[in-house]
Amino acid sequence: MKKFSLFLALAAFTSGLSAAAVIKKTDTKASEARQSEFYERVEIPTPAGEVCEVSSLALMPGKKIAIGTRRGDVWIAEGAYDADLSKIKWTKFASSLHEPLGMFWKEGSLYATNRPEFTRMTDTNGDGKADRFDTICSKWGINGDYHEYAFGSEPDKNGDVWVVLCLTGSFHAHSPWRGWCARITPDGKFVPTASGIRSPGGIGANDKGDIFYTDNQGVWNGSSSLKWLRPGSFQGNPTGNKSASLLDFPAPPEPTSGSRILAERLKFPDFVPPAVILPHAIVGNSPSGIACDMTKGKWGPWESQMFIGEQTASQVQRVNLEFVNGLYQGACFHFLGGFEAGLIPVRIDQEDGTMFIGGSNRGWGSRGTKPFTFERVRFKGKVPFEMHDISAKPDGFEVTFTHPVDAASAADLKNYAMDTFTYIYQASYGSPEVDQTAPTIKSATLSADGLKVRLVIDGLVRGHIHHLVTDVKAKSGDTLWHNEGWYTLNEIPSK
Amino acid sequence: MRPSSLLALLATAIFASAAEDGAQVYNTLCVACHGPDGKGLNGLPPLVGSDWPKGPAARSIKIVLNGLTGPVDVAGKGYNIDMPPQGAVLSDEKIAAALTYVRKTFAAGAGAVTPDEVKSVRAATASRTTPWTAVELLKAHPFPPAKTALKNLVGTMYKGEWKQMPDFSTLKPALMEDFNVGVVDPDQSGLKSNFAMVWTAQFEAKEDGRYIFNFDCDDFGALFVGGEKVAEIKGIAPIGGRRKEVPVMLKKGLTPIRIEYVQVGGEQVVLLGYKGPKDKGVQWLSKSKGGNAGKATPSIPIQPKDGVAAIYRNFIGGTSPRAIGIGFPNELNLAYSAENVGVELFWAGKFMDGGHHWTDRGAGNEPPAGTSVVKLSDGQAIIQDGAPSGNLVRYVAAKGGKDFVFSALPVSAEFRGYDLDKAGNPTFRTAGEGFAMTDAWAPDTAASKPTLIRTIKVTGDKAVTVVLARGTTISGPSDGVTEVGTGLLIRTQGGVYPRSSTADKTLTVTLKPGESAVLGYSYR
Repeated sequence: MKKFSLFLALAAFTSGLSAAAVIKKTDTKASEARQSEFYERVEIPTPAGEVCEVSSLALMPGKKIAIGTRRGDVWIAEGAYDADLSKIKWTKFASSLHEPLGMFWKEGSLYATNRPEFTRMTDTNGDGKADRFDTICSKWGINGDYHEYAFGSEPDKNGDVWVVLCLTGSFHAHSPWRGWCARITPDGKFVPTASGIRSPGGIGANDKGDIFYTDNQGVWNGSSSLKWLRPGSFQGNPTGNKSASLLDFPAPPEPTSGSRILAERLKFPDFVPPAVILPHAIVGNSPSGIACDMTKGKWGPWESQMFIGEQTASQVQRVNLEFVNGLYQGACFHFLGGFEAGLIPVRIDQEDGTMFIGGSNRGWGSRGTKPFTFERVRFKGKVPFEMHDISAKPDGFEVTFTHPVDAASAADLKNYAMDTFTYIYQASYGSPEVDQTAPTIKSATLSADGLKVRLVIDGLVRGHIHHLVTDVKAKSGDTLWHNEGWYTLNEIPSK
Repeated sequence: MRPSSLLALLATAIFASAAEDGAQVYNTLCVACHGPDGKGLNGLPPLVGSDWPKGPAARSIKIVLNGLTGPVDVAGKGYNIDMPPQGAVLSDEKIAAALTYVRKTFAAGAGAVTPDEVKSVRAATASRTTPWTAVELLKAHPFPPAKTALKNLVGTMYKGEWKQMPDFSTLKPALMEDFNVGVVDPDQSGLKSNFAMVWTAQFEAKEDGRYIFNFDCDDFGALFVGGEKVAEIKGIAPIGGRRKEVPVMLKKGLTPIRIEYVQVGGEQVVLLGYKGPKDKGVQWLSKSKGGNAGKATPSIPIQPKDGVAAIYRNFIGGTSPRAIGIGFPNELNLAYSAENVGVELFWAGKFMDGGHHWTDRGAGNEPPAGTSVVKLSDGQAIIQDGAPSGNLVRYVAAKGGKDFVFSALPVSAEFRGYDLDKAGNPTFRTAGEGFAMTDAWAPDTAASKPTLIRTIKVTGDKAVTVVLARGTTISGPSDGVTEVGTGLLIRTQGGVYPRSSTADKTLTVTLKPGESAVLGYSYR
């Protein structure tokens, strides 16, 4: 036996003694089993005999909803909100877009971002089918590679649509503007807006109108994450940098492989680090669509939080964001699971509080075993006992719970464990977790209303993911639905 | 505790944790595609029943370290899918544990993999940055010889361009190899175009009797059994229409067999099989097995329905990536290039098959499903007098050395979209500086043979020239009819007449604002 492996075994043994292992983490199967106490998940029947690999969703006036499929069809449903889904009525609106990944309704037309272009579809003669197809913008390159997807947002407050353009395969940019985000103005101008993109899975706004996208683990992405598309920013993957020369843009950063995100982004001020890292193979493997809760409670007590689809695990994760020293950061939590296929688009009807979600597992496997799915989820009114959010403090974190916490349980330090880690920022595919530390939780103080626990922590590490496991009980005696959170500490606030 | 017992305890802990780690790594990273039972989830490749996890550990280690890309045959089925590399994520120990788990659980009999093996493969392939292809891996670590009737198979490769079968005795081989795999496969050449292969082997007949040989290839070839030429595939065409089934009487024992094969370009396939006196089905001696060779994709025909034209926007072979295919009910079809603002392909019969793009990840081009494909033009199809001002540009990529380089190409016109009438007939819209143009297509219901009527109109204040054909054979116009490619006739039925130029092999029509051209497209 080599000394090297002896050393590894010892290291594993030592870390096994750390406090983190003492608290039992909530088990995925067990929490998915409790889901129906809080949320009702229903499959919506898709048009009979059709392969509806849902890649886009658009909410329309009059409680209609449009789905776009990977085969390029657009169908409009009436009755998708109704209790009796057997009466749902589907009308085919259009055929053969090219893999639309982003769709919305505006002023009498459906708009779709698809591989080659951003398209407006209009039914001018009122027969229920689109007869006019306007190419609003097609300034980016495509070449036949399966990976060159284009994901589009809903319009922002200026009416601009944000498009993120996946690289060619995992390692290349063989067509112009691959690896970039661009805004498309209402009159069709193509405005390159951010560089450094690898493989997006979805795009959407938060409650302030800032645009975020999910980027998948791979080269220059040690883990998947939710990223903030600050205009002018570099998102970390230099593969597509060469497109900058097309419009005489300043050259995006050329970071050093094998470094850390924190070190490189301090060198390059345009480099915006991931707002929230979704630790690979722990929280998920491939994040997709994004929806923000602005339902004022109809979707649960999560106002302004972000909900992220997950292709591989057929789940929805939950994210709380805060803005510290000019950057977004925050925590992610496991949330919903058990969906029938890999998830792609997510929409929340903000008036009604219904989440619509769909997907397909073609080409990429998923825990959900059906080839495609269209589902809706509704909050049943019973608030689960959860960490509502985690907020960074100069000397620790404040954890807000959805129900008052039992005082004795909250004060017992044995009910908390924290470890931190980060990833290597490198040109290779993914990264192991590295630079692990074990901070000390020095005190836990419960607020007067019983909802907030203030954790004073020795050993916060800027740039690291802070993994919190907690076993606190609710005042009612209830246990947490999910008891882990992962906070990406880009910045330690000064107050 | 004495040091030796500490060591023993640690050793136990390591082995225990290695075994546990293997299952854990597999169930975290591999399970999403290969499935908890190793049978593959949702149409992704299985490990059970596959030769890939068996045999030399180095092959499996390379796949895990750097990933696998492109076409691969697994357990008798073709896939075209990427496995992401894990070398940067997983330690040597974890890879060894996961592979040991896979080999013990799903590939009975394959031995354990040690961290040292992973370490040495990692070191040996350190300069490799891109995923492996199946061809590369099988060249370095072949599967054990297949138990087919082909014994002592040797392949010889020749480089060159041939339109008909060359005399191989006069040619100098570029490569000769003992392909000890029992099947013939054009990929054994390592090339994609302009080569020939000759395979020789001994065919083992299990008993006396009648053996029916199946033979086909893309592009052409010949089959010799016992020194006699028994089948020949002539011309340049894909697999399918020319397949030969020839009976040969053989004695039990070994008979010499020889396959001559020439690949010009495009798909490369050799199909070779036989049915012996006691065989129920064809026994394949080629990597491709019957049907649509090499492709495991189902057929999903896309056709006009209820008299309404079909539309297919995807990567259509022979035109640009921004293709819009239209299949009309009178069995004429076209592909419009939104990139080049013109119709680039015209064909007859079947429209398109979605089987390739609509299964797996759908990479690459799909050729038209029909016949008599004519490539009308390439490059910008709308031209204004003088050079484009540069206000309109298209961003283009070109292969430059190892990588792609990008530039902004000034163009005269941009694609603006299309309208569809109730019958699905399209009017493509384009615009440039000082003009707009419509390009409408519809079946001619009055014509005696299938015909499409094309109506081009220009508005605004600038004249434009529309390229109808470029870079193909153009005969005419004569009496208002021009033959383009082989057998496609373009007939002036109204408006401005097109003119041809033999110098630059073009057929164009120049339209001033307010003018139009009406053209009928049909096959001779």
